[in-house]
Amino acid sequence: MDWLSAMRLDALAAVDFHWLGLVLELMLMPLIAFVAGLGLVLMLRKIAARLQRRVGPPLLQPLWDIIKLHAKETQTSHGLIHEIGIVMAIGGYVAAVTLLPVPGMNGLAQQGGLIALLYMTMIPSLGLALGVGQCANPNGSIGISRALTAMLAYDVPMVIVIFGVAFHFGSLNLVHMIAAQQAGGVATWGMVQMPLLALAGLFALQGMLGKQPFEIYVAPAEIATGPMVEMGGKFLGGLFVMQCFQLYTGGALYVTLFLGGGEHWLTFLFKVFVVTAIPMTIAMVFPRYRTEDMVRLFWKWPTMIGLLGIAFVMN
Amino acid sequence: MTHIDQVPTPGAPLPVEIGVKAGAARTNPFARVFDELVRFAQSRSLFMLHYCTGCGAVELPPAMTSRFDMERLGIQPMVSPRQADILLITGYVSVKTLKRVILTYEQMNSPKYVIGICSCTVNGGMYWQSYATAKKLNDYMPVDIYIAGCMPRPEAVIEGLRGLIENIRTGRADAWKDYYRRYDYYLGNQQRLFGADWQTSTDVIAEARHYDLFGPATLGAHTALLEQHQRPLEALEMRIEIPELMRRRSRSDQDGTAQ
Repeated sequence: MDWLSAMRLDALAAVDFHWLGLVLELMLMPLIAFVAGLGLVLMLRKIAARLQRRVGPPLLQPLWDIIKLHAKETQTSHGLIHEIGIVMAIGGYVAAVTLLPVPGMNGLAQQGGLIALLYMTMIPSLGLALGVGQCANPNGSIGISRALTAMLAYDVPMVIVIFGVAFHFGSLNLVHMIAAQQAGGVATWGMVQMPLLALAGLFALQGMLGKQPFEIYVAPAEIATGPMVEMGGKFLGGLFVMQCFQLYTGGALYVTLFLGGGEHWLTFLFKVFVVTAIPMTIAMVFPRYRTEDMVRLFWKWPTMIGLLGIAFVMN
Repeated sequence: MTHIDQVPTPGAPLPVEIGVKAGAARTNPFARVFDELVRFAQSRSLFMLHYCTGCGAVELPPAMTSRFDMERLGIQPMVSPRQADILLITGYVSVKTLKRVILTYEQMNSPKYVIGICSCTVNGGMYWQSYATAKKLNDYMPVDIYIAGCMPRPEAVIEGLRGLIENIRTGRADAWKDYYRRYDYYLGNQQRLFGADWQTSTDVIAEARHYDLFGPATLGAHTALLEQHQRPLEALEMRIEIPELMRRRSRSDQDGTAQ
């Protein structure tokens, strides 16, 4: 019996427990992203309020909104796909967040890389398209067709930017990119090294976050918030949660590519908030473009700037 | 079709139950804490759908924008009834308008609150003698707060909203349950106005059953009348009305039958 227990102990010692840390990271990363996203939503609304010379919502307003929406007593579901669509919309961003390295946590960034991250950020639009499709509301259908058109528009400069950045760092691994930028200080930041790509990336970020003047698929006064038109209660609550993740993912991706990630949480979150504040501030002083104008603009200016940036990077 | 005179007159409304019913049935000691939190969140976050066909709408922009800023209180405008908590009706509702208001009200998710602004929603106001105006809004749907005045100033609107917030926080703003519990009364008044074959796209009785909000006065003479006329609810066929396309399709249909 002695040798049996000894063997069992050996077997136990041989088991690698590092995956427990990974599980913890996979739970913590979306949680932190959500809390930071609540702050970003608050900032969005505060910026809007201040630009309109209002006081704006109180500190915990985004949280109260989400709690209230999930606590609705009657829920209007249009079927199974409607519900799965919302889960896909949030799930896509949760998956994307685990691929984004943050200070102290890499999550799946080593295994995933930039292409997988880009792929994950497209899933929410597709999930939303599925869910809205079952609502059979004409406004929702128009909204989704516009959302997918918008994705077509901003993905062209986005892919150009991603390609240029990957070429510059010689890697698709976000952890390597951050390490390369942090090793050399501010002078090696993506923004300093490739200013044209950073500019094109800012354009693409504005489109990705769906802020004015590229807010074509929400358009409250025109198509009654498009995809959200049939969403009430927990469905809208899910989309509010998605918005938190969306703002965080956009900001954090830009910070990772161009601003050297973060040495610790304070600088990281500071950079994320500053970067996200730029599209929000621009949004509040612009009206909305038409769909075809948006596509034309995206395929012209950011694409040209991006291609020029690639030419400089490859030089 | 049943003539309007054959619609029985709804009796005097039953006394409204106020306060949280079935609160004693809670066994989990944390449930009360959770309820408090939810009620607080509900009171601090109100999405407002404003139905502004009346003249009182002109007092809302100052209440919403930089002068008085409703967003301080967590109130913000929304554009679709599914998303909204408050249905804000400014000014008189004509018979034709009231149909739309009821359709909108029934599409909202509970808990939902109705606010009637201006004298016209209270008693018809200066349209008292009009044959085309619905005089008392709370004959047709439960109203949480009336803000009287012709027109009430933005301060009064904000004050009314504060009253509603206080009612929600203390759990007294449950007039929406009344619509399910006394559906027969409200439906009767609607039938008196719109005719006996009046039917909305929301099955209120089924909802009352599903959400356990069935009351002694949910069914009655008027819901029986509704069942006589009721057509089953089905999704609208989605089609594109383009003459060229239609002609081509009908031609291909004919070809198909010929073969």
